[in-house]
Amino acid sequence: MEYVIEVSDLAHSFGRLDVLRGISLKIRRGESYVIIGGSGSGKSVLVKCILGLIKPKAGTVKINGMDTATLSRKEMHKTLLKCGVLYQGGALFDSLNVIDNISFGLVYGYGKAQKEAYKIAMKYLEAVDLGPEVARIFPAELSGGMRKRVALARALATDPDIIFFDEPTTGLDPITTCVIDNLIVKCTKEVGISALSITHDIASMKRISDTVGLIHDGEIIWEGSSSDVDTTDDPHVRQFVDRSLTGPFTKS
Amino acid sequence: MFAYVASVLFLAKIGSGVLSLLASIGRVSWFIVESCMAGFMPPYYWKQILQQVIQIGYFSLPVVGMTALFTGMAMTLQCYTGFSKLTAESAIPSVVMIAMTRELGPVLTALMVAGRLGASMTAEIGTMKVTEQIDALTTLSVNSHRYLVFPRILAGTIFLPFLVFIDDIIGILGGYIVGVHYLHFNAANYIHNTFTAMTPWDVMSGLIKGAVFGFIVCVMGCYHGYLSNRGAEGVGRATTNSVVSSSIMILLLDCILTFMLF
Repeated sequence: MEYVIEVSDLAHSFGRLDVLRGISLKIRRGESYVIIGGSGSGKSVLVKCILGLIKPKAGTVKINGMDTATLSRKEMHKTLLKCGVLYQGGALFDSLNVIDNISFGLVYGYGKAQKEAYKIAMKYLEAVDLGPEVARIFPAELSGGMRKRVALARALATDPDIIFFDEPTTGLDPITTCVIDNLIVKCTKEVGISALSITHDIASMKRISDTVGLIHDGEIIWEGSSSDVDTTDDPHVRQFVDRSLTGPFTKS
Repeated sequence: MFAYVASVLFLAKIGSGVLSLLASIGRVSWFIVESCMAGFMPPYYWKQILQQVIQIGYFSLPVVGMTALFTGMAMTLQCYTGFSKLTAESAIPSVVMIAMTRELGPVLTALMVAGRLGASMTAEIGTMKVTEQIDALTTLSVNSHRYLVFPRILAGTIFLPFLVFIDDIIGILGGYIVGVHYLHFNAANYIHNTFTAMTPWDVMSGLIKGAVFGFIVCVMGCYHGYLSNRGAEGVGRATTNSVVSSSIMILLLDCILTFMLF
């Protein structure tokens, strides 16, 4: 079985606070893995550790079979170019317009000529259902949904093997949420890109996931297929999915 | 017993303060090393360097020019108040020139640039940090130190001396305007007295100071931006820290450099 991401016994802490406690997960090529869990359960830290943005205290991360801890800076850059990331707020560069944002990775990461990069960027702008009239607009002038779509186009433009989605539908209206979900499904099912998503949105999770992992207190406490989420008796999953106030998750 | 405990606590406080200062110096030094190492290695981002050169070298000109003009004018008037009592009015042009080139030019330019550009660098980089734009740079395989920090440090170090030079000229011109048109000095004598006392070292020492101050302002601006966290409040705090630490460093280094270049 070919895995694009293999995480083993990943642990991290901030001071005395253990954020990740021995997390292991594997994502197959073309699989859409969704992590759900409460706020502060360690979801974003897990993604940042996988991407090398945070150096974990223990454990290993393999991307496309390569242990990221042993990679040189140059090799890590090459590996990262094969990872697209859709950040929660989009993380579009404020000083650049839409087309420059989308072509950024192509120009500065791959060293492509500006003209060629623009051509590719326009293709991805169209792929996320945005017209060429948006190309010269700056991120501050875009709506939340448009920002997410531009950010998705930027993530796709470098032709990644895997995309990380950090709460892709947070703060969006139901229709825009559907649009984003459909784009994610299109990426994974039609293009064959693997995806690791973080979300609180249960409906969105059901639409985009093949596999679901529930993270709590820095540990993956349940893992199953998308359809298992509805049938499992696991009290943690039930409380989370059913939005129940009573259950093993205690909130003070 | 109480005195013993109090003295131990006092020493512990001093010790922790010293350790914290050393840790900060270490962090800033590592930040400089990391940025310079990244910047001197290809790929070179010429467009970013050019943008910063324009920001520092061109857009700072009006504020620096105005500061120099008013300082030169006020200084000539103040000198006149004292020097006229000693019947040493002829020394005013030389004093204004020396003060502008050796001291006021570099210090005022650096302080104005710290307030204008250092603060904006911190706010810009800080906002990029809290909105994950710096993480996005990394995941797009772009070294953020090479892309964001090095162009600013390079442009600041090279172009602040240029601003200091302009500041010197405008400051001396301000002195000339007040000296000739308000205090009714003879124009030819004023110019003669200005340049008779001038040595290349007067200008050069100011330019050296300018390069050091430009480096410090940009390093502090970027470093504090990188330290930003906790949203808008964190960026605001980082911006204040950047301007305060840059200003203190400028004044401290000015004193040290003046002793060295005396």
